[in-house]
Amino acid sequence: MTQQLDLPDIQGNIIRAYGRFGFPKARFFFLKINDGDSGRDFVGTITKRVTTSVSWGPPPKGVIPKPKAPINIAFTYNGLKALGLPRASLAGFPEEFAMGMKARKEILGDDGPSAPERWDKVWQKHEDVHVALAINGQTPEEKEQPPLKYVEEAYQWVMSQIDASGGGVVLLTGHRGDEGQDDLPFQDASLLYDKSGNIMAKEHFGYTDGIGDPVFEGQITEEYRVVGRGKLTREGGWARLETGEFLLGHPDEAHEYPPAPPPTLLSRNGTFMVYRKLHQNVASFERLLDAHAESFSGDRELLAAKLSGRWRDNGAPIAHTPDAASKAEWDKLFYAAIAAKDERTVDKMLADFRFDLMGYKCPIGAHIRRINPRGSLEFGQDGAYNTPGALDDRRRILRRGLPYGVVRDPVSDDGNHGVIFMALNTSIERQFEFVQQQWINYANDSKEGSDKDVLLGNHSDPNGACPSKMVTHADPKSGRPPYFVNKIPRLVETRGGDYFFIPSMTALRMIAGGKVDPT
Amino acid sequence: MANISGNAYALTVLSPIKNGCIGDSSYQISYADEVQSRLHGLGVCEDSPLAKVPQTYLARFFILDDVFLESTPGCDSFCNLWDILSIFKERFRLLALPREDHLKSRYLVFSSNFHGDLESYLRGMWSAVSADIKHIWEHCVAFDRVQDVEGFIAYIKRCQLTANLFFNGSTDDPLEEQLKALYLKQQFVKFAVSHQGLGAAELQDAFRAFIGRVQPNQLATPTWRPGQSIP
Repeated sequence: MTQQLDLPDIQGNIIRAYGRFGFPKARFFFLKINDGDSGRDFVGTITKRVTTSVSWGPPPKGVIPKPKAPINIAFTYNGLKALGLPRASLAGFPEEFAMGMKARKEILGDDGPSAPERWDKVWQKHEDVHVALAINGQTPEEKEQPPLKYVEEAYQWVMSQIDASGGGVVLLTGHRGDEGQDDLPFQDASLLYDKSGNIMAKEHFGYTDGIGDPVFEGQITEEYRVVGRGKLTREGGWARLETGEFLLGHPDEAHEYPPAPPPTLLSRNGTFMVYRKLHQNVASFERLLDAHAESFSGDRELLAAKLSGRWRDNGAPIAHTPDAASKAEWDKLFYAAIAAKDERTVDKMLADFRFDLMGYKCPIGAHIRRINPRGSLEFGQDGAYNTPGALDDRRRILRRGLPYGVVRDPVSDDGNHGVIFMALNTSIERQFEFVQQQWINYANDSKEGSDKDVLLGNHSDPNGACPSKMVTHADPKSGRPPYFVNKIPRLVETRGGDYFFIPSMTALRMIAGGKVDPT
Repeated sequence: MANISGNAYALTVLSPIKNGCIGDSSYQISYADEVQSRLHGLGVCEDSPLAKVPQTYLARFFILDDVFLESTPGCDSFCNLWDILSIFKERFRLLALPREDHLKSRYLVFSSNFHGDLESYLRGMWSAVSADIKHIWEHCVAFDRVQDVEGFIAYIKRCQLTANLFFNGSTDDPLEEQLKALYLKQQFVKFAVSHQGLGAAELQDAFRAFIGRVQPNQLATPTWRPGQSIP
């Protein structure tokens, strides 16, 4: 029988991403709990406004009206401690969560320009960061209304609850802003808009984002979306990943419950969130393309596609469109499907692909191949694992981030623009941290030596002793040599973040009521 | 023989360390702890004495304090029988428990994967680092009888264990060839990256200069040094 999840018990944005359902705006802010009693009261009040995974929209599919500005809440280890969780429950949390993101900097490669001492001020006293609040928002239909109207209303409501706590709960300031501020009380994020003011699913480097999110048991989604997003079967089909990879208290890909703190009610239907503010050096990225486009083949966009695995303009997977001719053919079918509102075909074209073994089409070091190898780690040794993607299936993460800021000066890396990267998984160490350490900042698994992900890697000085490089492979039959993208500068810099626990609604009520009992 | 895989050899040596302590009334340390402390004092990477021992692929020292307790055994037919009999007599339950074994002394373990045959390797080891050998093995039982390389070879052979499962993590080529190959591979990657896009004639000239510099036929130099950790 298929998994029936208790949707009213699960916080929103886990089962499905707000970003895909008409919430282009978000505001993140962080609180410190000075007093356990008022902290628990505050959590209790917020809990009544927390948006769950219940379907919204008109009946019969929708259970509640679509919220204007969903509110969600999560806690650091220190936050749970400040809220008075019993010692036995705290001790049951995984070590990396208890340590927090800053202390994991060696594993994450947060060095040089990404080092914690360069993070936004709010993270400098990371032991004070206890609570994360996220408000996502629709924009008002009336053009004359400010786009952040609904977000602002929800934010003001939360502020009034903070005020009511009489100092028991305080808002932490210290986010960098667009005008050079370093003490903002919140971090805003937003989908990007094109020149005509239409929303684009793009990030600042120009790539289409958020196509390949995993699909798991219990998620309510069209069945065709499992293709290319679930796990590969030995027969070459796709199946949903196990719920326990993304929600605690459910069996995972190893057919066991993911490690979680006691009591079960505290952890079940909860998950862990990685929050990272990632600044993007857009000017450096464009300069890298400039430096290589000519010697690569003259096709600058093809080079950009090789780095990522998808074309920038529409997300076409390069595994299907390895050159301009095949891309033109693909585009024709793709835009025809869009015009015909044939969502199934559009989705299939974007998601249904595997990688060519030797990387002649999609380089082995391309970003989307590194973070989700789609069975290519079996490397031509059929039957090496239970299924071709057995190694990938335990390293998947749900991505729930949004871009922030705008690029004002395209020839400078400075400014305030990047991605608020949010990853959800049941084991930060096994899933997010592994991908970051082994697949982004290293390449032993893919047999690419110590090469790093071009886009996300913590590259050293491009003019130093060991500059980063990436190989774009070429089919020997073509007569062309492979092309090396060398002297890669650091394109993404960490500006802060931490590890959070997103409790279920039951757990929120238990925390608020001081009723967490691990015995 | 399980110690050999092609031209690679797996040596496992367990040398018993003397029981008892050294020191005076104010400070006592057991022989085994003293050996442990000496091992901790060895250099690492290029500074390790093992980096000076010819043909060493991978080697390590450690102290074996005791055998590990295997804990409660899985049930087999006898266990089940003891389980049933234990209803009648407590003695049978105790019979089903594993016997707890202990070593009579602590051991210095030396394990090394290398190229070639055992005797040549040990000769090379003695001639390269005999002072280190004496320092490390000094407190092992009967090592005081080792006076020269022949004595060392005989001693090691007496302490040798046969390797049952030998996985050689590299090829079985001589060490110099492997290190040169590693060096050439790294240099060639750098060459390929920095010379891509050149015309055929220019590339050929550059390649000739490259070959002249890296000298593929000269194993001794330039090359990657044994134990070297950073380019």
